[in-house]
Amino acid sequence: MNSRLFPVVVLFLVTAFLIGPFFIIVAASVSGGETLAFPPQGLSLKWVAKVFQVESFRESFAMSMLLAIGGTGAALVLGIPASYALSRYRLPFGETIRTVVALPIIVPGIIVGLALLRYLVVPFRFNITLALFLAHTALVLPYAVRVVSASLNNLRSDIEEAAVLLGSSRAGAFFRVVMPNIRSGILAAFILGFVTSFNQVPVSLFLSGPGVRTLPIDMLSYMEITYDPSVAALSALLAFMSIGIVFIAERFLGFSRYV
Amino acid sequence: MFHSRAEALALALPAAVFAAVVFLAPVVILLAEGFRNAEGWSVAAYTGFLSDPLNRTVFLRTLRLGATVTVVAAVIGYAAAFAIVNLPPTAKGRMIGLVVLPLMISPVARTYAWIVILGRTGIVNQALTSVGLTDEPIRFLFTETAVFVGLLQLFLPLMILALISALENMPKDAIPAARVLGANWFQVFWKVILPLTKEGLVIGGTLVFTGSLTAYITPAILGGSKVLMLETLLFQRVTVANDFVSASVIAFILIVMSFAANLLLKRLATARSKR
Repeated sequence: MNSRLFPVVVLFLVTAFLIGPFFIIVAASVSGGETLAFPPQGLSLKWVAKVFQVESFRESFAMSMLLAIGGTGAALVLGIPASYALSRYRLPFGETIRTVVALPIIVPGIIVGLALLRYLVVPFRFNITLALFLAHTALVLPYAVRVVSASLNNLRSDIEEAAVLLGSSRAGAFFRVVMPNIRSGILAAFILGFVTSFNQVPVSLFLSGPGVRTLPIDMLSYMEITYDPSVAALSALLAFMSIGIVFIAERFLGFSRYV
Repeated sequence: MFHSRAEALALALPAAVFAAVVFLAPVVILLAEGFRNAEGWSVAAYTGFLSDPLNRTVFLRTLRLGATVTVVAAVIGYAAAFAIVNLPPTAKGRMIGLVVLPLMISPVARTYAWIVILGRTGIVNQALTSVGLTDEPIRFLFTETAVFVGLLQLFLPLMILALISALENMPKDAIPAARVLGANWFQVFWKVILPLTKEGLVIGGTLVFTGSLTAYITPAILGGSKVLMLETLLFQRVTVANDFVSASVIAFILIVMSFAANLLLKRLATARSKR
C-alpha cells in the first residue's frame, strides 16, 4: 500500500473503532421507538427524560458521586503526605511502602470487594456504604500516589529548603511553597481518581445492599430486566459528562500527560 | 535534609497502614481460605476445581481471550502508534486526546454500545439482511467473538499509549539509517523498531493481558452465562452457590496469572536484548 495513504487509513479505522460506538449510543438514545435500535426510529428525547425519572438511577448516581468525591479526597489526604515522604527521603522500608500502596491497582477489584464483604461486612455487621467508601479509597490511592509523586519529582527540592532557611516552619514551607507548585498535579490526580472510582464496577459488585448501589452496578442490573433505550441514554449522558471533564482538564492542565 | 527520618516515615505510614488493613489483609485471608480444609493446609480445593471440565473450559477460555486480545492489540497498536508519532504536533495532540478519551468513559457504557451494534436488530444484522447475505439474524451476542471485540475496544488505548511513548523515545534517525542501509520494512520493524520499543510493548502488553484476564463487565454483558470467564464464574459461584472456596481458588489463579504475565513479558524483553 501507498506509504502516505497507509497511516491515514489506520488512524481512520482505529478512531472509528474507539470512538464510533459512542456515536451509536448517542443515536440510539434519541430514538422514538420502544426498543433499542439503530438507526433510531424517529427522533425523541423521551428516553433521556426517562433516565431522570427512574428513582434508583437518581439514588445510585448520588451514591457514586459521593464515593468518587469522598474516596478520591480521602485517597489524596493519605496519598499526598506519603508521596512527599517517598519522593524526598530515603525511607526505611520505602520500597515496601511503595509496593503496598500500589497493590490495589494490581489485584483484581472483584477479589477486594469479596474479601471486604466476607471479613468486614458480614462478621462485624459493618456498614456497606462505609465499606464501599474504604474500598474506593484504597482503589484510588495508587493513582493519587503515582500522579502526585510525578509532579513532586518535577519540582526542585531546594526551593523548600530555601524557605526553611529563611525562617519558615516545615509545614509552612510545604503548604506555601510545595503545594502551590504541585496544584495542577493534585487536580489531575483528583480527576483521574474521580473517573476511576465513578466508573468502577468489580470492587462494588459484592458491596451492594438494600438502597446501597453504585450507578454502574445499577445500570448492569437494569440492563438485565429491560431492553429499552434508557440505558443507552444514561450511557450517553455519562459519556458527555466524562468528555466535559476531560476537555476542561486538558484545556487547563494538559491532562493526558498524567494518564 | 530538614525532616528527621522518623517524621518522614510518619507521613508515609498512614497510607501504607490503610492499604495493608483495608486491602492487603482481607485479600490474604481470602486467598489462604482456598488452601485450608477441615484437617489443615491442603490443595484439595485446587485439584477439585480443576477436575471440573466446566471450570477448565472457563480457565482456558480466559487465557485464550487474554492472549488473542493482547496480540491483536499489539499489531493494531504498533500501526496506530507509528502513524500518530509521525503526525505534525497539533494533529498528534488531538489524536492522543482521542485515544485517551474512551478510557475516561464508563466501561459499562462502552460495552453497552456493542449490544446496539451486534444485537439481533443491531447494525451488523440489519446490514447483512438488507444485502441479502442472511435471512435470519446471526447470533453475535453471547459468543466469544463478541467478548473479544468488546475487550479489544476497552484495552486497545492502553497499548497505543504505551507504544506511542516508546516510539517517541526511539532515536529519530534509527529508521532512516536502517532504510538507507537496505533493510525492507519487515526487517526495519523486526530488527530496529521492536528491540528499541520492547519496554513499551511489555508495559502495554501487561496492561492489556491482565486487564482482559480480570475483566468483569465485558464478559458479563456480551458473554452472559454462555461465555463465562474467570471473573464472571467467580461472581456466579458466590451468588448462585455461596461457594467461597471456588471463589478463593479463582482469585488466586487470577492473581498468579497477572504476576506471571508481568514476569514473563519482562523476561522476553531482556532475552531479546541480549542477542
